[in-house]
Amino acid sequence: MKLTLPRLSRGLIIAVVLIVVLALLPVIGAPKSWLLYIFLFFLYLAMANMWNLLAGYSGLISLCQAAFIGLAGYTLAITTWLGYPFYVGILGGAIVCGIFALLISYPVFRLAGIYFAIGTLVVPEALRMVFFLWRPVGGELHGGGAGYMVKGVTAISMSEIYWFALIIGIGSVILMRMILRSKLGLGLAAIRDNTDTAASSGVDVFRIKLNVFIIGAVVTGLAGAIFYVYQGYIEPISAYNIRWTMTMILATVIGGLRTIEGPIIGTIIAVFLHFLLARYAGISLLVQGVILVMVMLLVPQGIVGYTRETRIYRKLSQLFSWRRGNSP
Amino acid sequence: MIEYLADLTTPISMGILLGGLYAVIALGLSLVFGVMKLINVAHGDLVILGSYLAYAILTILGMDPIIGLVIGVPVLFVLGFGIQKYLLNRAFHVSMEAPLIIAFGLSIIIQNLVQLIWSPLSRGLTTSYSLASIGAGPLHLPLIYVIDFAVALLVMLILSQFMKRTYLGKAINASSQDSRAAQLMGINTERMYAFAFAISMAITAIAGVFLGLTFPFTPQSGVSFLVIAFGVVILGGLGSILGTFVGGIILGLAQTLSAYYFGAATQMLAVYVIVFIILAVRPQGIFGR
Repeated sequence: MKLTLPRLSRGLIIAVVLIVVLALLPVIGAPKSWLLYIFLFFLYLAMANMWNLLAGYSGLISLCQAAFIGLAGYTLAITTWLGYPFYVGILGGAIVCGIFALLISYPVFRLAGIYFAIGTLVVPEALRMVFFLWRPVGGELHGGGAGYMVKGVTAISMSEIYWFALIIGIGSVILMRMILRSKLGLGLAAIRDNTDTAASSGVDVFRIKLNVFIIGAVVTGLAGAIFYVYQGYIEPISAYNIRWTMTMILATVIGGLRTIEGPIIGTIIAVFLHFLLARYAGISLLVQGVILVMVMLLVPQGIVGYTRETRIYRKLSQLFSWRRGNSP
Repeated sequence: MIEYLADLTTPISMGILLGGLYAVIALGLSLVFGVMKLINVAHGDLVILGSYLAYAILTILGMDPIIGLVIGVPVLFVLGFGIQKYLLNRAFHVSMEAPLIIAFGLSIIIQNLVQLIWSPLSRGLTTSYSLASIGAGPLHLPLIYVIDFAVALLVMLILSQFMKRTYLGKAINASSQDSRAAQLMGINTERMYAFAFAISMAITAIAGVFLGLTFPFTPQSGVSFLVIAFGVVILGGLGSILGTFVGGIILGLAQTLSAYYFGAATQMLAVYVIVFIILAVRPQGIFGR
C-alpha cells in the first residue's frame, strides 16, 4: 500500500488550516482591530488579484478599477434605500459592474496597450462627476454633494462582514488558479507571448480580454460593495478615488506581477503600510508612491519573483515537497 | 435668431481662446508621447506643479508669474531631464508596463508633495491683468484668455521651428523615428529622450503659469488637465503640432458651450464624454491616419 499525495499537499494543508483559523477568529473573540486588518486584507487581496489578472496576465493596465468599487458601492446604497436587503445590493453591485465593464469595453478596447491605461483613467473621473450631479433616490442633502448612508447595515455584525470578505478574498485566489489553468488562461498566455500569432491561430483576442475585464470588474465590484457594507456610507470623492487603484497596483507590484502568490504577499505589506501610515495621513500616499517607483526600478519582479531567483525559494520549495524528495 | 447668435459669440470666442491654453498643456504630453511612445500619466500633475511653482515665486519673491518663468522653466527643465535620465530610461529596459507604472507613481508623489507643501486649498495666480477684460463691440473677453491664445501661438511656432531647424530637434526626431539607426549615426538616443522630456517639462512650466492665471487650481486638478491634454492629443492626432492646436480649440469649445447650455457643473463632464466618444469612434484622432 503506497499512499501518494499530490505535490504541495503540505502547502495545501497549511493553507486550509490557516483559512480555518482565520475564519474562526471572530468566534474565538479576536481583538476588533485584528478583524479589521484581516477584513481589509481580504478585500484588497481580491482587488489586487484582479489587477494582477488584468495587468500581469492580460496586459490590460486598468486604471479604472475605482469605477467598479464606486459603482458597486452606489448600487448597494441605492438598493438599500429602495428597501432591499444588503446582500441583494452586493449582488446587484457586481452585476452593474459587469454590465458597465461590457459597456465601456467597446471604446477602451480599441486602445492598444498603453492607450488603454489612459482611456480607463477617464472613467472614474467622469463617474465621480456624474454622481456629484445625479441623485437617483432620496432628497437633496444639506450643502449639496451626493453622499448616501447604506441603510440597514448597522444591524450586521462585524463578524458577518468579515466572513463575506474572507469568502471573496479566498475565492479570488481560487478563481485566479482556475482561470490560469483553463482555456481562458491558455488564451491569455498565447496573447501575452505574441498577440498576432495567437490571433492568427484562432484565439479570439477581443473576446478573451473582454472576459477577463468583466471578471475583474465583477470581483472588484463585490469587494467594493462589501467594503461599503462595512463603511456604512458612500460619497463620490472617496468612492471614485485613485487611492483604490494605488493600493491594488502597490500590492501587486511589491508582491510580484504575473505570479499567483505575489498579490498575497504584496497585500499583507500593503495593509501593513496602510495602518503604519494611517497616523500620517498627509504623507501616506506620498510614501506609497515612492515605494512603488523604487520597487519598480530596483526589484521589478517583486518579492515573489525575486525570491524565486534566489536560494530562499529553492529551500522553501524543498520544504514543501520534502515528502516527494524522501520517498524513492 | 441674430440675437441668439450674438449670445453665442461670447462662449464661442472664449472656447477658441481657451483652446490655445489647452494646446499648450497638451504639447508636452504630445512631445513625450511622440518621441518615447509613453503616455506620461503624471503630465497633469506636472502642469499643476508648474502652477504651484509660479505661485511660490509670486508669493515669496513677489515676481510676476510670467517673468517668474525665467526661474520656473529651468527648474522644470532640469527636473524633467532628471526624471527621464534616472527613472524612465531605466524603466524602458525593465518591462513594457514599468514606465507607465512609474509615471503613475510619480503622479501620486507630485500630487501629494504639492498638497503637503501648499495645502489642499484652491489657489490662483492673481495679478493686475488676470482679472482684466477687454471689449470689442458687444464682446467682453477676459484679457488673460487672449494672452493665453497669443502665448499658445508663440510656443507652437518656437517648438516647430526648434524641431525642424536645430541639431537637437532633428536628433530627437531621428531617435523617435528609428532609434537603432539614430544610434548608428552617433546619436545618444537616451540623452535625446532626456532632452525631449526636459523640453516637454519646459513647455509644461509655461502651461502651468498660464493655467494658474486663467483658472484656480488645487493639488487634485492634475487629473482633469491630464484628461484634457490626452483628449487634445487624441483629437489632433499624434505628433502634429497643428492637430494639437485644432484639438485644443475643439475641447475649449466643447467646454464653454456645454457650460453655456447645461450649466458650469457639466463642463468637464462634456470634455470627458467627447474624449470617450473619440476613443470609441476614431482612436487614431481626427487628423491621424
